[in-house]
This record gives sequence, structure tokens and C-alpha cells, in this order.
Amino acid sequence: MLKYILKRLGLSILILLGVSLILYFLIRCMPVDFIRSKIDAMNQGGATIKPDAQVTMYTSYGLDVPEDVVEEYRNQLKTEGRLEELDKFNKEYGNDSGFVKMLKGYLGWLGKICRLDFGKSFKYGDNVVNVIKDNMGVSFAIALIATIFEFLIAIPLGITAATHQYSIRDYIVTILVMIGISLPAFFFGQVLKNLLAMKLGWFYPSGLVNAAVSGMTFWEQIVDYFRHLFIPILTVVILSIGGRMRMTRTNMLEVMNSDYIRTARAKGLKEKTVIYKHAFRNTLIPLVTSLAGLLPSLFSGAIITEQVFDLPGIGNIALQAMSAGDIPFIMGYNMFLALLSVIGVLLSDLMYAVVDPRVKLS
Amino acid sequence: MENKEFNNLEESAVEVTPTPADIEEPDYKGDDELLERNVKLMSPMQMVLRRFFRSKLSIIGLVLIIGLFVFCWVGPLIYNKWEPTEMDNSGKWEVETPVVIEYEDEDGKHEFYKVTEVKKKANALADPSSDHPLGTDKIGRDVLARVMEGGKVSLTISFLSVFIITLFGVVFGGIAGYFGGVIDNIIMRLCDILMCLPGFPILLIVGTVLQNESLGIASQHRIYYLMGFLTLISWSGTARLVRGQILSLREQEYMVAAEAMGYSTGRKIFKHLVPNVMPQLIVSMTLSLGSMILYEASLSYLGLGAPEQHAAWGTMINIVVEDPNILENYFNIWGPPGICIILAVLGFNFIGDGLRDALDPKMRR
Repeated sequence: MLKYILKRLGLSILILLGVSLILYFLIRCMPVDFIRSKIDAMNQGGATIKPDAQVTMYTSYGLDVPEDVVEEYRNQLKTEGRLEELDKFNKEYGNDSGFVKMLKGYLGWLGKICRLDFGKSFKYGDNVVNVIKDNMGVSFAIALIATIFEFLIAIPLGITAATHQYSIRDYIVTILVMIGISLPAFFFGQVLKNLLAMKLGWFYPSGLVNAAVSGMTFWEQIVDYFRHLFIPILTVVILSIGGRMRMTRTNMLEVMNSDYIRTARAKGLKEKTVIYKHAFRNTLIPLVTSLAGLLPSLFSGAIITEQVFDLPGIGNIALQAMSAGDIPFIMGYNMFLALLSVIGVLLSDLMYAVVDPRVKLS
Repeated sequence: MENKEFNNLEESAVEVTPTPADIEEPDYKGDDELLERNVKLMSPMQMVLRRFFRSKLSIIGLVLIIGLFVFCWVGPLIYNKWEPTEMDNSGKWEVETPVVIEYEDEDGKHEFYKVTEVKKKANALADPSSDHPLGTDKIGRDVLARVMEGGKVSLTISFLSVFIITLFGVVFGGIAGYFGGVIDNIIMRLCDILMCLPGFPILLIVGTVLQNESLGIASQHRIYYLMGFLTLISWSGTARLVRGQILSLREQEYMVAAEAMGYSTGRKIFKHLVPNVMPQLIVSMTLSLGSMILYEASLSYLGLGAPEQHAAWGTMINIVVEDPNILENYFNIWGPPGICIILAVLGFNFIGDGLRDALDPKMRR
């Protein structure tokens, strides 16, 4: 068992290395340049940033200086007669091709990661780990509550659909959850927002806290959160019930066809006992395993839902970072997601062995 | 003829061709022969089709998908009053925001509202009418024509990408499963890596990479490149499925026979192994058609998809992000594309579900 876990952990590190390599090269190809937009903003504000200051900014952020800035910098040094600096710069700047530069950048990033330094986010100005930690609260709350409701609703639905297979009830439940699976998050979110928040005014359409009101008591605070988070959670729950319900139904059907259920019925047990004590308990195996796989995804945030409802969650933060070209944060966030999914796969494999004693890991 | 006792099972795959003797002697009325004449013999394909069409949900799914195809490809031929990019410049009277005019005389203070009606060039944001069954959008383009045009983009992309994913999956999975050893190991580790890539964020990154002007990609083709990248990173699931099936199939007797016949490796893989993986493959393909539509729509919604003038369904919903007025008051603009997305995904899911039940011999009813 220990040997198996160690082997899997070693493999996970390899996987993460591969993922980071692909991610790094893709991110470095992004045309958004955080420094350039910053300089442009400063220029519009009336200040003129000289090329040497620009070069200092790029190097202080650990980025490569773009070609045109390098050209301007060289011209500036020549006209100002700082030839020594020019020589020094030319030597240091080197003539590496783009690919070699990226590779060097990647190795530098990897070296920092080994020292557990994830870098500082350009946009949010704090350590990447801290930014992720600070903004996870909302995402985690939504995901946790939604997952609880998802299981509470989907499992009973799955059981009734399986025990009444091919009846009207089965068809109705199946059609409803299939519609749920087929809904695009952004469309359904907007429909709910339009209906429940804008037309009926029961809930708030966006944001997490009501900026207009201050000095609320504890209970008012709770009600305020509820009115902000109800629609996002409802959206997530309705979208995710389908998969879980289909899973319960399929497994339940498989169990209901097995011999020991026939034996239980032949013994004259009550139908309730047969279903809940004999059948459902065996259906729990894949459900619990899937729960273990789901655990890490609670932390990953939902980009689209958070964008639709303008929630300050990790997904929305990442979306904004991506449009701003905040390389350390994008890299850190995506690696965080990859780590979560590696842990998820590992956990669900281990859980499988824990729940089902017949499974031996090797 | 010991097969005959199987034939009274309604859906048996056993195919018995009547011998000439059976046909030539009609006056012989043995039990066996009567039975045979009453039994319909079916090929496996017929059985699958029959089970598929017995389920009402799969028929609904099929109708939905065929309906959408007709709507998007035949629809524009019938409803050709407006081009999807054409603006309705027939003009429209619009009431401007009233201006308050105050003046004072001996009676006291008076307030007047000056209401001006302005003739606008474009017939924008029109309500549904006989001229525009679904109204017009912000700059006066016909919504119905745009929904039809957008459907072409969405459906084409989903079919193309599923086809490519399956191709990659079958080739890599087939090679991994058949050869095993080092090749299998390499391909499977590659699959592990691809499975752990965070799909949606990575597509967002690639979406911005594609906006790089030096790549010279026309904006209306961007979504095709983006979905192409998606196919590159999402074949791992299909490859695993194919590999798993082939691992169990290659130990079977008919593969030994194929080996003994001296068939080439390619023939063994693609003629003898892959067709046996087809049932599971078809199911997973149908189900992923739906998820591809959702992917494409979500990307378009975040503004990474087709540009506004070549809108796909997702892009048409994207407009509500910038304009809360449209979200609140003009469901006729963003509702229809959303409903089309739901119907398409629902249709594919129903068909996939029906196929899964029909192709699985255990699910026999």
C-alpha cells in the first residue's frame, strides 16, 4: 500500500512537471503585456517614462524586455553618450532566440517553485499563494453548499428513478435532469438573474455584499449573504444534479439486478429494507469514491458562474488576471488547479480501496 | 437444427438461413418449421436500431437534432428576407429622454416636459413583428437570421472537433493498447498530463494567444483554431476507452485467428479491433457533441469566440454582459440562441443515452 502511494506520488510530480511546461510556454506566448499597459496608463496620465526606466521595470518584474523597447533604450544610451552602459547591456541582453529565452525563464520559474516561491502577482501586488488563499472563501462556500445540496437531491432522485425503471416517474426525472445538464451556465445564470433578481427583486443580481448598507447586525449579514448567493448556488446545483443522478441510477440498477437482491426479496424482506439496506449501501461505493474525487474541486472556483454574478471568487480573480497578463498569478492558479486534479484522482483511487475491501491496490 | 429453440426469444442474434429443403416441402408441418416462419430474424444492427427507436427519448433527441439542422441550413433558404449581417435601415421613430423646461410667470412656477421624437436610421431593438419574427438587435440586424447563421457555426464546430478527437483517440488508444510496453507507457503518461491540464483556463489563455496580431489569424476563424486546440488536449478520454477495450479484445480467439492468417498490424487494429470498440465509441462521441457545443458557447460568451458580425450562439448571448438593459428588457435577442444551445445539447444527450441503452446487451428490455 505504502509502496503504491509512493509510486503514485512520484508519478504525480512527473505529471505536474509536464503540465507546468505546457502552461508556461502557452502563457509566455500571450500577447498581453502587463508592463506595457501600465506604462501606457502612466503616459496617458501625463508622465513620460524614458526607455531606461522601462527597462528597469521589465527587469524588476522578471520579464524579458520586448524588442522595440530594447531598440529605444539603445538609441537613448547612444544619444546620451552612455556608451559603457550600452556595452554592458549588449553583453547581458545577449542574442538568445525567443525559445531559449522562454526555456531559461521556465527553468528559473521551476527553481523558484522548488524553494516554494510562487512569485508575486503583478496585478494584486501580493504573493500568489496569499491571493489564492484570500479569494477562495466565496468559491469554497458556493461549491461546498452546492455539493451538499447536489448529493441530497440527486441521490433520492436516482433511487426512485432506478426502482421505478421505465415508469412515468423515471421518464420525468430523467428528462428534468437532462435539461439541467444541457443548460449552459452563463445562459441559465442570466435567466435566473433576470427573473429572480431583476423582475421579482427577491435577490441581488450581483456582488457579495451590499455596499449601500453598513453596520448590519449578524443576522442581517447572514440574510444579506443569502440574498446574494442564492441564485449562484441554485445555478450550480441545477447544472450538476444531472450527472450525479444518472450515476446513482445506473449503479442502483446494476445492484438491483444482482443475485443477493433476489435472495433478499425471496426471504420476504420488506421492499424498503431491500432497497435501502441491501441495494443502496452497495450503490454508495462509487458515490463515495466520486465524492473523494470531488473534494479538491471545491477549491477551484467556477469561472463562468462567478463572472455572471460578479462574485469576488477565485475564478473571477483569475479571469481578470488573465486579461491583464498577470503571468505569475495565471501560472500559480493553473498549477493550483492541476495539483487539485492530481490529488483528486489519487484520493478517489485510494478511497476505492478503503470503501471496497475487495479492491487491492498494487 | 439445434438453433431453433433460441429463435422463439424475440430478440435473438442467432441467424438461421432456411435450408432449401425447408422451403421446398411446404406440406410438412412439423413444429420446428412453423416456429421458424413466425420468427423474424434480425441482424445485430437491426436489433440496436429497434431498441433505439423503442425509447421515446431517443426519438425526441433525433427529432431535435434533425430539426435544428433543418432550421440552420434549410431555414435561411426559406427565410431569406434578411441577410444575417444586413442592417434594417427602414428607420424607426424613437422617443428621446424628456427634457424638463421650467419657467416662471405670475401664476408661479411651471414645469414642462419637452418630448422629442427622432427618426433613427436603423430599426434597432425592434419588437417581434411579422417583418422580424424575433425582432432586431442593437444595430438593426434580424435576430432570426442571425440565430440560423450562428447555428451553422456552432454545429459545424462541434461535429468537426468531436470527429478529430475521436480520430486522435482511436489512433493513440489503438496503438497503446495493441503494442503495450514502452509505447503504451509513453502514451498513457501523456494522457495523464493532458487529463490534469485545467481545460477551461487553458482555453482562455490560448484564446488570448490567438489574438496576437502577428499570427495573422482572421478574427472569424479564431474560434476554429481555439476548438482545434481543444481537440489536441481532450483526446485522452477517448484514447483510454479505446485502449481498455483493445486490451481485453486482443486476447480473444478471433485475434489469434487473425494472427494465424498473417494479417498486417494495421489491418488487425483497424479492421478487427476498432469495429468492436465502435459501440462505446459512438456513445461517447454523441455525448461529447453536446459538451463541445457547451464549450464553444462558453468561450464565445467570454468573448473569445467568433466576432460579433459572424456571431455563433454563445456570442449572441455575450451582449447581455455589456448591456444590462438588453438583459432586462429584450429577451427576444438573447433568449433564442440560448434556447437553441439547450435544445442541441439536450438532443445529443438524449440520442447518446438511447444509443447507450440500445448498444448494451445487458440493458435488454
